[in-house]
Amino acid sequence: MSEKTLTKEKFKEFMKIKGWPFLKNILINHNYVVSLILLLIIGRIASSNFLTFANITNLVKSSTFIGIIALGMTLVIISGNIDLSVGSILGLTAANTAIMFNNTHSIILSLLYAIVVGTLLGFINGFFIGKAKVASFIVTLATMAAFRSLTVQQGQGGPILINQEAYYSILRGLGYGTFLNIPYLVWIFVTIVILMILLMTKTKFGRYVYAVGSNEKAAKLSGINVDRIKIYIYSLTGLLTGIASFLYVARFGSVDTATAGKSFELDAIAAVAIGGTSMAGGKGFIQGTFFGIIVLYSIDSVLSALRVPAFVNDLIKGILILGAVLLQKVLNNRKANN
Amino acid sequence: MVVEFKNIYKNFGAVQALQDVSFSIGEAEIHGLLGENGAGKSTLMNILGGVLSPTSGTIVIDGTSYSHLTPHQAVELGISFIHQELNLVNDLRVFENLFINRELTIAKIYLDKKEMIRKSHEVFKRMNINIDPTLHVRELDTLEKQLVEIARAILFETKLIIMDEPTTALTDKEINNLFTIMRDLKNNGISCIYISHKMPELFAVCDKYTVLRDGKFIDSGFFKDIDENRATELLVGRKIIEDKDIHRAQLDTETVFEVQNISCPPYFKNISFSVKKGEVVAITGLFGDGRGELSEALFGARKLTNGKIFKNGKQLNLSSIKHVMKSGIGMIPRNRKERSIIKDMNILNNVSIAHFNAKHKKFLISTNEEIKRFEKNQKITNIKANSPKDPITSLSGGNQQKVIFARWFELDSDVYLLDNPTQGIDVGAKFEIYKLINYLAEQGKSIIVFSSEFPEIYKISHRCIIMYRGEINKVMNHDELNEVDMMFYSTGSNRKES
Repeated sequence: MSEKTLTKEKFKEFMKIKGWPFLKNILINHNYVVSLILLLIIGRIASSNFLTFANITNLVKSSTFIGIIALGMTLVIISGNIDLSVGSILGLTAANTAIMFNNTHSIILSLLYAIVVGTLLGFINGFFIGKAKVASFIVTLATMAAFRSLTVQQGQGGPILINQEAYYSILRGLGYGTFLNIPYLVWIFVTIVILMILLMTKTKFGRYVYAVGSNEKAAKLSGINVDRIKIYIYSLTGLLTGIASFLYVARFGSVDTATAGKSFELDAIAAVAIGGTSMAGGKGFIQGTFFGIIVLYSIDSVLSALRVPAFVNDLIKGILILGAVLLQKVLNNRKANN
Repeated sequence: MVVEFKNIYKNFGAVQALQDVSFSIGEAEIHGLLGENGAGKSTLMNILGGVLSPTSGTIVIDGTSYSHLTPHQAVELGISFIHQELNLVNDLRVFENLFINRELTIAKIYLDKKEMIRKSHEVFKRMNINIDPTLHVRELDTLEKQLVEIARAILFETKLIIMDEPTTALTDKEINNLFTIMRDLKNNGISCIYISHKMPELFAVCDKYTVLRDGKFIDSGFFKDIDENRATELLVGRKIIEDKDIHRAQLDTETVFEVQNISCPPYFKNISFSVKKGEVVAITGLFGDGRGELSEALFGARKLTNGKIFKNGKQLNLSSIKHVMKSGIGMIPRNRKERSIIKDMNILNNVSIAHFNAKHKKFLISTNEEIKRFEKNQKITNIKANSPKDPITSLSGGNQQKVIFARWFELDSDVYLLDNPTQGIDVGAKFEIYKLINYLAEQGKSIIVFSSEFPEIYKISHRCIIMYRGEINKVMNHDELNEVDMMFYSTGSNRKES
């Protein structure tokens, strides 16, 4: 009996010192975790197939393409900007990567090519935003249209097909293969997530991104070359989109120039918002975006498990995005008042 | 209107901005509100204007008690607040500004421009001034803008006008004109709260005075019963004693920082001066003197059209701020909230940011090294914080400013450009900043302080450069410094004839 009360007290003590602050921190700064857990519980109740190993890896796998892009979008939004062109960058880069692969039949060269093209397209955004100081919304709205147009021109309105023989013998394995029962795509995605977390928390560049987004003037007066940081951010987003484009080609084996990557930017922005990154800049986490994209993708499977007609999926998504951001606002206000 | 403050308290977090302030303002009275920056004048006036709510206490207006006011209530009661930064829309015309949010209409839809212009003419005539109501506000000079604000107050039956340092940008003639209008208003039964640092003006126009110091009520009475010495005593209080704690550091002969003939039109031109090792040079002037732009230019944040800057005899590369930082020059910008603190970052990251830029070579950041650097500088700057990982916004203004000092200590800069370093911090913290500046001077650092506060300049500087309209008008050594002369040269009074 006395032993029982002792452990109870110990538990209380522990909660007081470590537990509550920890939970509070999660609730306030990482509340996307709450939405994820809620969704997963609903899904689990609705269907016993939900939350199985295969189901989870599937979820992560299907979110890889937009997920990798959303990581770049996180930096863009933390720095107080926006990038509407990522979908078009993916289209243009994927189309060119497919052509490169047809010509070389080489994984390495295609990947490098995708990275170079993506980075270059991102750099174009960054140049106009950083150096010419045009609002990011306008620049990327323009390049969104321009890059898409170039892509469609390249495919003459139709798809760019990949040499099927070469695709099946060389590239397809990457898009469908597994290691330790986990798809390559998931390994790649998670590796990039970890690298990006390190970049944002452990390097000077990460600090500068936060500083620029939080107070550009102060960042400049601390000696940060703000224009250059913006160019780096957009180039990096282009680079990540390049990687996503390469994986896209590996997975789907052809690129429909009119639709490849279309409205990816919206899902990417939604993931960033659900993940708790402030649209005003200065605050946000890579891991938030990672959970954000998974929340976004698990909606589909939860809804189908609940036998909700697929037509209302986007309605639910919309409500969820709004709800997540409202929740953050309420919690942040409470924090400010304390 | 009779306004009575009863036991007003106002806290901002841990900072007590107002403590137990009680006094009253009578009918048709010009009431001078005195106090140094940070004494709580603006806080109190914002409470009266409904912008802030008092933590406790009541405001009694014409017999009715209020625990707090909303901005809407304040307007309804007839209280007008004329801010230091004028609240006019530059892109609208004068009459549109006068009637903003209270437009006259025909049938509730169409704006009745004719009537609004007619009424604007009427009110200007009543004030005995000549402003065309159809001009755009951006075409007006500062006095005219001020008068438009007052006209707006008169137009809507204001019973009390609060004026926050209305004369800083005005010439003597314009000031007299303003005073005539204020006296007219008084004769029409309108009360006025007049906030100013300038004793002669206060004595010229005000009937009663109230002095605040460190957020506390000190004294209230009639100006005719006191003289300027007594007023200054009330104003400055205990700080006269504290002054003894600050000794100016000994001067070295070695020149560290030298500016040769730099210009940046239209802000400033032909500026030359030099600063010795261990010297504190103050640069002062009034609104429009180009001092803020000069501070930016010295740090490489603003391009010069000609002139050179030398440090230790070597010409500075001004092409980027980073180059200037690496040459050993640090900067505390004015307007801390806007220009120096990074609000979403914690204290530690705010301190480290300059270090990363100029000194950090490694690929990854080590939090332990960061904390070690912080702790070293925390001791020197005396930052009061629970944990370096707390958000910077959890600190008081003074401690935030010390964090910004620490930012440059990490780089061990030799020259410090301090642009209005004690802006918006309370008196105690100000004193700590002065001690810090003195400490730096003793360490042989060279310091350039941009300030508009005479007591501050007097306390810390060896020499004071007074600017007028972008040029150096006068240089005064510490033993020549006095407030009257400083004002004389700041207003360009010595140049009036030319």
